[in-house]
Parts: sequence; structure tokens; C-alpha cells
Amino acid sequence: MIRSTRRRSVVAAVALASSVSLLLAGCGGGSKATDASTSKAASTDKPTGVANSTRVLNVWAGSMTPIVANFNPFSPNVLHAAMGPIYEPLFAFNKAGSGDPTPLLGESYQFSDDGKQLTVKVKSGVKWSDGTPFTAKDVAYTYTYAFSKPSYIISAEATDDTTVVVKFDSPQFTNEFSLLGTTFIIPEHIWKDVKDPAKFTNTDPVGTGPYILKKGSVSSQAYTVVANPNYRDAPQGKPAVKTVRYVGLDGNQNAEDLVKQGKIDWTGMFVPDVDAVTSLGIGYINTPQDPTTIYTCSNADEGCTGAQTDKAVRQALNVAIDRKQINGKAFKGLGGTISPTFALLGRDDKWITNDDWKESPQSADAAAAAKILEGAGYTKGSDGFYAKDGKTVSLTLKSPAGWTDYNQAAELIASEAKAAGIKITASTISEQEYFDARGSGKYELLMGGVVGTSVADPFQIYKDWFAGFSTTKVGTPLKASTWNFSRYSNADVDAAVKAAASTNDEAKRKEQYAIIQKNIVDDLPYIPVIINATQTFFNKKDFAGWPTEDDLYQFPPSWGSVSSGVILANLVPLS
Amino acid sequence: MKYYGRRVAFYAITLWAAVSLNFFIPRMLPGDPAQILIGKLARNGDVTPAVEQNVKLILGGSDEPLWNQYWAYLNNIVHGDLGISVSKYPEPVWDLIKDALPWTLCLVGAATIIAFAIGIVGGAWIGWKRGSAWDHVIPFTALLQSVPYFWLAILLVYFLGMKLGLAPISWGWDVQTYDHPEWSWASIVDVFQHAVLPALTIVLSAVGGWLVGMRNMMVSTLAEDYIVTAEAKGLRPRRVLWVYAVRNAALPSFAGFAVALAFVVSGSLVMEQVFSYPGIGKLMITAVSNADYALMQGVFLLTTVAVLVVNFLMDLIYGYIDPRTRHHG
Amino acid sequence: MAEHETTGEDVREAHLVTAAATTVDAADVVVDGLPPDLPDAVGDGSLAAAVTGEPATAERPRSRRRDLMPSWSPKLVVGLVITTVIVLFAIIVPFFTLDPNSTDYDGLLKPGEQGHLLGTSAIGNDIWAQLAHGARGSLLIGVTVGVIALALSVVFGIFAGYLGGWADETLSLITNIMLVIPALPLTIVLAAYSSSRSMWLVAGVLGLTAWTGSAIVLRTQARSLRARDYVLAARVAGEKSGRVIAVEILPNLLPLVAAQFLFGVIFAILGEAGLSYLGLGPTDAVTWGTMLYQAQQGSALTLGAWWWFVPPGLLIALLGCGLSLVNFAIDEIINPKLRNVPKATRRVRKARKHEKHAAATTEEAGA
Repeated sequence: MIRSTRRRSVVAAVALASSVSLLLAGCGGGSKATDASTSKAASTDKPTGVANSTRVLNVWAGSMTPIVANFNPFSPNVLHAAMGPIYEPLFAFNKAGSGDPTPLLGESYQFSDDGKQLTVKVKSGVKWSDGTPFTAKDVAYTYTYAFSKPSYIISAEATDDTTVVVKFDSPQFTNEFSLLGTTFIIPEHIWKDVKDPAKFTNTDPVGTGPYILKKGSVSSQAYTVVANPNYRDAPQGKPAVKTVRYVGLDGNQNAEDLVKQGKIDWTGMFVPDVDAVTSLGIGYINTPQDPTTIYTCSNADEGCTGAQTDKAVRQALNVAIDRKQINGKAFKGLGGTISPTFALLGRDDKWITNDDWKESPQSADAAAAAKILEGAGYTKGSDGFYAKDGKTVSLTLKSPAGWTDYNQAAELIASEAKAAGIKITASTISEQEYFDARGSGKYELLMGGVVGTSVADPFQIYKDWFAGFSTTKVGTPLKASTWNFSRYSNADVDAAVKAAASTNDEAKRKEQYAIIQKNIVDDLPYIPVIINATQTFFNKKDFAGWPTEDDLYQFPPSWGSVSSGVILANLVPLS
Repeated sequence: MKYYGRRVAFYAITLWAAVSLNFFIPRMLPGDPAQILIGKLARNGDVTPAVEQNVKLILGGSDEPLWNQYWAYLNNIVHGDLGISVSKYPEPVWDLIKDALPWTLCLVGAATIIAFAIGIVGGAWIGWKRGSAWDHVIPFTALLQSVPYFWLAILLVYFLGMKLGLAPISWGWDVQTYDHPEWSWASIVDVFQHAVLPALTIVLSAVGGWLVGMRNMMVSTLAEDYIVTAEAKGLRPRRVLWVYAVRNAALPSFAGFAVALAFVVSGSLVMEQVFSYPGIGKLMITAVSNADYALMQGVFLLTTVAVLVVNFLMDLIYGYIDPRTRHHG
Repeated sequence: MAEHETTGEDVREAHLVTAAATTVDAADVVVDGLPPDLPDAVGDGSLAAAVTGEPATAERPRSRRRDLMPSWSPKLVVGLVITTVIVLFAIIVPFFTLDPNSTDYDGLLKPGEQGHLLGTSAIGNDIWAQLAHGARGSLLIGVTVGVIALALSVVFGIFAGYLGGWADETLSLITNIMLVIPALPLTIVLAAYSSSRSMWLVAGVLGLTAWTGSAIVLRTQARSLRARDYVLAARVAGEKSGRVIAVEILPNLLPLVAAQFLFGVIFAILGEAGLSYLGLGPTDAVTWGTMLYQAQQGSALTLGAWWWFVPPGLLIALLGCGLSLVNFAIDEIINPKLRNVPKATRRVRKARKHEKHAAATTEEAGA
């Protein structure tokens, strides 16, 4: 409450300023005059850069303009600051490392042996940003809130102010991250009055995180959050960076230029020439996380058509591509080596059950590709391409326009495949065509990412991307939370996934993983290419406390959900 | 009166056809908005089940037959309701347009006017000085006109913005100083500074057309009898230039100018994208890349109506000043 | 998404603007329904000037055809040289270059390094090869679009203008609707329909959206010609409409049609660049547009690879400039004043100078 006196003195000036801004109906009237948040602005603190003399941290988290105020964590159009800086889940899982999750609102948790019950201890003495005490009841409310409740939750109850017991209809070991690490806890006293949660934009968010929204700061180009005076670590001076501004930008080039000009202090985006940025004294870290693959519509039984439905073609392609060249040229040498098991090398090594499957081949081997194809009955035609039954192996490899690394990788793959006698045409399509093709399965080959797991275990990929129950026939879009775009379906894999889900025992899980890995390494429904670079640039001159190679306490990019809140709370301004 | 009746009918039909096409074209775009949205969200990390559920809830509601949707659409338009944007759900389309329109009108409008003014004055001058060295300017304007818009914008950003640091390279105002633009001298100057590069892009690529058109009209006009007479009567050349020649030579350009102004409301897609400028063109890109039908329709409608209204006004004006129009039309 | 100006509304503006540039009455271009023979609408002949060339055409239609041959102005020469050089470049050079799609070379080589005349792209394409093949692709698209747009604008412009009545109303209505429909999304929709976008598809799409401006210009002129005596005579003699259009009207509109065709080509090359910039360019061919797109996506300028980003844009601008200059020469045919007046003025100016000089010398002599 140190700020209250100051606030009053500012009110008059603010009232003037905002009434002036309301007059800006003409040029530059980008202010949201009709927005509820602005009409309230006059009564609370406002002007920019005045509230705190310390340096404002400018962040680009990938938002495009126009920015529209939306701080409802369940909305697809929620702004980045809501996820982590304003609202928090119980724990912060570190996607970049293999350690235990960091407690946020939670303190500890325990699964029952059968995996059907989860008991969570939450911190005491925490307050919501409006001053109301936070209790386990809020957690129970969140888990059973109609809008966010997963179907497998039967009940959630606060047995006392700091304990919550959640019951499930089946073992949920594998949903540990989803339940504890991505479910943003909301205040019951506010949300119980929300009529239509889908339409609720929550322009006056009340959370437990280190920041609160600065009233009236949302414009089409930017919004600002300021330190939450009721933050549980506020007595320790956290967050030390008092003001953070999130900006909207429409392209990487634009963002890169602004980073170089020092107008953006923290961002996560792809920059091909890292040296040009770091030579200006800008901090940089690269944490390759997400596999890049070639999606193949692999399963003729589900309706896929094209030469890629033949395993031999996929296997030939797998050895025909030059991953080293792709990394060097398309990913500027910033990508990581991929394992065909989809376990993240370094982090998930213990889950790779056979050393042969550690890495995908790094250089092109046209002879090996030829051997595979000839073994499967293909013959090389006079045009230099393999054919079977009079049909030339000719495939289209699509990637979304503007996803430069994918576009370039596709060009390289086409050129490399040609050398191995496989005809591939690289083509770019609009994002909507891409997502449509991917969802409906109407494609031959797509450059595509696999969402890397947020915990040190590749299981989520096996379940969501490879299991037969995670796919549908070609022409039918996939169900929610399933990502098996390749239409891959293999009874052995399905059984192993189910078996692994019901146990928490590492050895037992590994047995199942061995079955899964053996099959997917051979079938290659997604041809692994590389682990995509995840670059983060940050201002190390004015701020300290960023994640580093040695202390990767959280996933570094500014767009990281939850992690960005943890990092912001950890930063310290340098004078 | 019959003439005006027919004109009104003509515009009514055009409006209806355009509005209907605005409805059907976006629906022919490939892609399921829900898939697109989830796909985009997944690019930046995890999509929680709650969010996914919400997406389906928001976007799954259009199972109605197309015909019913069409009637509802027409009905809403008549009542001034442009619907709710999907990509910025639950923001009403009108609010998005209302926020973006002033920027586009001011910047693209000002740039169009500047380009027109330079073109008319420059063209008049070159036309007046016909046969002199000034004629050699014409080929250069041809070059400027043919430069790809985005290429020019990117070069400007690179050289003027980054290398020389002469002007800001993004946004409509400095977000680091002002949450919103204010009515202060400093803020207005700031807004102007941010408009320099985008406006320069537009002016450079648009000025050539006006210039050449005006120059040619000047040359033709100056050969007219009444100009010759005026000169012969000994009127001062300056008076002949401005009062007799320019005024008449510029008239046809004004009709083109009116339509150019009408198209201003559709914004400048390239420029707004390259400079992250908060205008209507940006909304169009957002709408197209997210299969946001309502937003797309809103922007189309705005453009269509603006162009039709301008054309209609021009019709009325010409019908008024030239009675024969009404009989022959 | 990005930069579509070149594909969308603005191109239309360009059309409207260029309509004025071709000295066809811009008012007519814009405002549908003006009578063809509106001269003197403003009372002082200013608009008449806009349609100049026509009265002369009317009186001596056939004898004027001799004048349709361009005279050799410097503009025409420069324009033709630029255009010819680029066309020859597109036709000949691709036979002698490396494979433009090959990525076997090191990325981002500077011009001259390892024998690459213009260096290489980030993924190792030879830029010189891409530029040459791109010239071929861009020109093919340009010419195809020009032809398609021309055919459509002849139907919707000349036929509408000549036939009049309901045919005119209907065709004009379609033209006007096409004019107000935002072209960009239409283009995207059409382009998105085919799974693999061939060069021809892109050309077809651009052709479908490129004709409206020309159609309006041609319609006005056709309506004007329709009232001429010799056309009336042909009609009274019972000639079929098609024949009248082909024999009496088209030849008189030839310069205008040629100008519209060249505008169509410029529109197409810029439009293709714009579509490519959106990532919707052709997938089976290299064009200057796809090159620019890849260069921009690959942050060519930030990487200092000017040789990747600058040449395609420059060539587009040069080709457009060359074609525009040829167009200016055509303008001078349509409107002879543009050619004669400056010449005459120059003569007058020279004569005056001489006079002054002479006067001065006489004075000197007198003194």
C-alpha cells in the first residue's frame, strides 16, 4: 500500500490525460474509448513511465497487431501476460530441464498408487491481487469449473484451506503436467459471477501472479503490466522489474530491427544471423525443443493416397535427406540433432531403449535409399526417378508460406530427394490451407512440427501423435487434444501406449516404450528431420537474472506460458 | 428523373451483388477456422484442453445451412451489425474497424493527397514547360511506378530507418512513451514521425501516375484554342497557366482522385504489414490469415460502400453539370 | 501474410490512374454511364481534350492508320531497348545457367565467389540462374495475363460499348461489380483452390482480376466510335456486329488496346510479385516474385545479401519502366498533341531565341 498516496496525487493528471485521450477521435484515435477498462482508467493510476522511474521492460511475445484486450486464460485469444505473469498454475514445469517442478501456488502433490487420486498442498497466506485471500477452495473451484474441467475429473474438494483432493475416473499419471502445470487457478469470488465465460474478456484480471494489468494501458499496439502489490513474494521485493510492456508486431524482421535498436528487451523468435544481434551486446540463448519432421499421410487404410503410403518410400526418404545440410542452410546451424524415438536428446536420454535409435542419419545416403526402393520392387526410370507398376514416385511437400525455415528445408529436401531418385515438389501454401490439409489428412507430405513435451518424457508424443486412437479417417478433422496427422495406426503401439499410461513405474514404462520406439523408427509416419531452434534474445545490459546455459531454470522465450511469469519475477534491473 | 432512377437501381444492384459476393467469397476460402486457430496456438507452446474446448465452442456454431446464414448476414448488415470477429473473439468487428480506420484514413489518405498534389503541380509544371529538359523527368516516374511496393518499403526501412536512423520503423506512435496517442504537441509530432516512412512508400509509388496524367492533360489543354486566344490577348503567362490551363487540365484527374480516396478506406496492406501500422489493411490480413469471415466481410463492406458512394456522387455531379448525360445514359 | 498491395486494390487504383495517363477521359473511366460524346461538358473544352485524337479519327479514319505507326522518340527507343534486352535475357540466358533449383552450392556466397556471378541464396541457389529463369517465368505470366485481360476487356468493354442497351447494362454491371470486389481475397480464394499452383493457374487468376480498368476505358471509346458516321454506315449497310467491331472499331482502338495490354503485363508482373510475397506465387517455376519472397523471408538484407534481394526487384522495376515508356510513345499516337505540342513549343522557343539573338546582333550592329 506504499503506492496509494502517490496514486492519489496522480489521479487529477490522469483524469485529464484520459479525457484528452478520449477526445482523440480523429487521427490516432486508436484508444479503446468504448472499452470498459478505459472508462475506469480515470479513477486509477495511469500515465506511462511516470508510475516508476525504473526502466520499463519491453517484451515481444509474438502478438500481432491489433492487440485486443483479453485476459481470460481459457480464451484462445488471451494475451500472453495473462499466462504466468497474471494467472499462475500450481507448479511451473521446466520444459528446458529434467528437474522437479517449481512450486508456484502449490507446495507439494501426491498421486495415489492407482493414479486415480491426486492430493495437492497449496501455499497459505497468498492473496489475490484484489486483496482477497487465496485458498484451496479456489483450486477446487478451478478444477471443477465447467469451462475448464477435463472430462476425466470426477470431483475436486478442498479438505481444508491448503489441501485439495482431486479424483479421476482412470489413472492420470500422464496428465500430471496438464493438471498441475497448465491449469491457471482462477478466483472463485470473481468467476462465479461470470455469465458467459466464452465471451468474457476479463479486462480487469484478478490473479496471484507477480503482475497486474495497468489500467487503460491496452492499445492496439501494446499493453502494460505493473508489479502486483499483493504478490506473495512482494515483501522480498519481487518482482524487481516494476513495469513490463508487451508490444504487438507484425513480423520477425520488424522485431529483429527493434531488438537491434534496443527497443525490445526480451523476445523469442527466429533470427538467421545471430552474430549481428549478439555483437550489439544483446543476450542470446538457444534451447532446441520441438521436433521438425516431414508429416506423411502414411495410412492407406484410413484413406491416405500417394506413394508415401508405402513404408519403403518413407524409409528411402529418411536416408536420402541430408540433415546436416538442412540444419546448416535452412536452420543456420541452430537446430539440434533429432532422435527417431522423439525423445529429446540430452534431456530424455534415459527413455531411448536402443542405442541404434539415438540419432537419425545425419548425411544423405542415396545408395541406401536406392537399395531400399529396389528391394521393394521399384525401378529407376529414364527420367532418373524410381517407379513401380508404371507409376513414378512423385510427391508434393508443402509448407506454410512465411515459415521460412520450413520453406527452405522443403526446398533442400526436394533437391536432395531428386539425387536419390525420388521426385518431390516443394510448394508453399497459405496457413489455412496448411492447417486444413493437416487436419483433414488430405496431403502427401507436409513439413511439420511435433510439439515437444514439457516434461522429460516423450510419452505425450507417443500418445497424441502416434496412437491409432488419436487419429481419424482422412476427411474427418482430428478430435480435441489429438495430433496424429499422419493417420498412423498400429495395434502394438496402441497397446503399449495404454499400458504405459497406467503405471508410474519407470522400468515398466520403458518396456512399453521399447515396443513403441521399435515400431515408429521402422514405420516412420513422421520422418524426423531436426530439433527446431528456439532462440531467445534478451537485454543483459539493463536486466539480470535471465536463464543461461548453466542455469536453465526455466524455458527462456518470452512467449513461454507460465515460464515467462517465473522469469519475469526473477529478473533484476541493473542501474 | 428517369436517369436518376436508373442510376439508383444500378447502384442498388451493384451493392447487393457485391455484398453477396462478400458473403460467399470468404466461405469459399479453404480451411476450418477452428483448426487454423488451434494450429496457430500450438505453434507457440501448449494448448490446454480448456482452450481447445473453447475454440470449438466459439467456432463450431455455424452448422446452419448456408442460406440461413446468408439471410442472417443481410439482416445484420441492414441493422448495422457487422458481427463478432473470430480471430479477436469476442471483439465486435465494428470496434476493430473503428479503431483502425482513423489511422488508415489519416496516413493513407494524407499520402494519397500528397501524391496527388505533387503529381498535379509537378505535372502542370512539366506540361507547361513542355519540350524542355523537364520532360526527362517522365521516364523516372515510370521507373518509380513499376517498383514493387513491398520491395521499396523494405529498402526504405533498411536504409532510412535502420542504417541512418532517420525515422521510426514500426507502429503508429511510440508505445514506449505513450500508452495512447495524446493531444499534446510532443505526441502529435511523434505520430507524424511514425508516419514518415509509410507515407513516403505510398507517395513514391503513387506520384508517377498522377504526374504523367496531369502532364499529358496539360500538354493537350495548352493546345486548345481558348488558351491560344488567351495568350494572344496578352494575358500574363502565370494567369494563363493557373487560371486557364491547370484548372481545366486537372479536372479529369479529380475523378480518378475521388476513387483513389474511396479506396483509401481499404488501407494499404503492404505498408501496414511492413511497418506494423495499426490500420485497416492489417485487419484484412488478420482476417484472411485466420479465416475470420465476419472481419473480412466488415472490411469488404467498408470498401465496397465507399467506392460505390463515391461513384454515385460523381454520377450525380456529372449528371448535373452535363445535362446530356441524363438523356444518353 | 503480407504485402498484397500489388495484387489487390491498389493495382486497380493504378489502372484508374493510368487511365488518366493514357489521356482517356478519367471521368469516364471512373463514372460509369457518361455519354461517349460528352466533350465540352465543362463548357470550355477541357474534357474534349481528354478524348483528343478521336475527332480526327472520326473524320479520316482510314488515312489515319498510317499515323498509327510509332514515331521514333527517345522514350520509345529507350523503352524498347530495355524491354528487348530483358526479353532476350529471359529467352537466351536460361540455356546457359546452372540449375536454378539446385542447392548443391554453399549458402550466401558473395557475387563472384566460387564462380557464381551473382552469388548464392541462403540455401545455395545460384542467383544468376534464378534471375534468368525468373525472367522467363515472370514474362510468361505477364504476357499470359495481358492476353487474358485483353480478351476479357474487349468483350466487356468494346462489345458492351458498341452493342449498347441491355447487353451493355449487363456487361457494365459485371464490370462494376468486379471493380468494387476486393481483388486480393478473390485472388487468394482462386489461388487456394488448386492444390499445386502452377504458373498458368497464377496467370489465370491474375488475368481474371486484371481486366476491369481496361474494359471501362475501352467501353467509353467504343461508345464514342459507335456514333461515328462510318460505323453507322456499316451498320445501316447490314454488317454483322462482330464484323463491324473487328473491321471498323478495333483497328481504330488498336493503340489504346496495345496500351492496355502493356499495362496488363506490368500489372501481372507486379501482381505476381505481390502474390508470391504472400507465399501464393507459382510453385512449379522460378519467378522474380518467388525470388523476392524467398529473399525477404530469408532476411536477405539483414544478412547483407543485397545480391539476393536487390536484383529481382530492380529488374521488375526496369521492365515495368521499359514497358511504360513504350506506352508513353503509344499515348503520343493516341493523342498526337502530346508529340506535336512539345515539338512545336521547342521550335517556337528556339525561334524566339534566334529572334532575340538576331535582335541583339542587329542592335549591336546598330550600336
